Amino acid sequence: MITLGHFLALSAVLFAIGLFGVITRRNLIAVLMSVEILLNAAAIAFAATAAYKDPVFFSGQLFALFIMVVAAAELSIGFAILLNVFRHTGSAATDVVEEMRG
Amino acid sequence: MSVLGFAVLAGLVLAGALVAVLSENIVHAAVALAFTFFFVAGLYVLLGSPLLAVIQFAVNAAAIPILTLFIIMTTQSRRVRPAAGVFYLVAGVLAVVFLAGLWAYLGAPQEAFQPLGPEGLGVRLLTVTLLPFEVASVLLLLAMVGAVVLARRREA
Repeated sequence: MITLGHFLALSAVLFAIGLFGVITRRNLIAVLMSVEILLNAAAIAFAATAAYKDPVFFSGQLFALFIMVVAAAELSIGFAILLNVFRHTGSAATDVVEEMRG
Repeated sequence: MSVLGFAVLAGLVLAGALVAVLSENIVHAAVALAFTFFFVAGLYVLLGSPLLAVIQFAVNAAAIPILTLFIIMTTQSRRVRPAAGVFYLVAGVLAVVFLAGLWAYLGAPQEAFQPLGPEGLGVRLLTVTLLPFEVASVLLLLAMVGAVVLARRREA
């Protein structure tokens, strides 16, 4: 029998892995990929909680849907900014972004 | 709900995420991330929500990895240099602290649930959450326009 605790545990471990990636990665693309892992961990937690605790409205599963929308928007804007950084500095590493001036 | 299915899917999700976070070859990381999201779609099937699973597959497991690989190609970044040791220390401590918060949830009571089919979820999406739905579409439009404007080549 799989319980809500199993899903929340998986979500928490996934979130911890993503957090580790966001901090240790030095390439902006890899950082954005880790952020995707974080968002997916949150979506799993929402969807599982909705299935177990909200058997009438399943609001959390709709919320997971909106998380995917926000993730897609975040990623497209993030990659556009990354392209600008790459054109400006010729690199996609995190430590080349040292000033806000264009 | 099958315990074996959950165990296999959870193991594959965690393994894929670990490769995506630790691999020094960024192409390997992107492909591992695609597989991770594919298995997360399997988890949504286990949760009785095929609608979420299909959208997860189409958006997160197909569209986003292609975009990521395209960006990797454009910026010609093949390898990720390893970070300084202090970053690994901070990240490890933060991850452990976060996992410590997990204990509160492990004693959740056992209960079964009746899954809601795609039609029920769709009806709720367009009635209960109609306003967020419209806001989300505007957000996607704004993100699309913003990405086009930001990534456009400046006229010299």
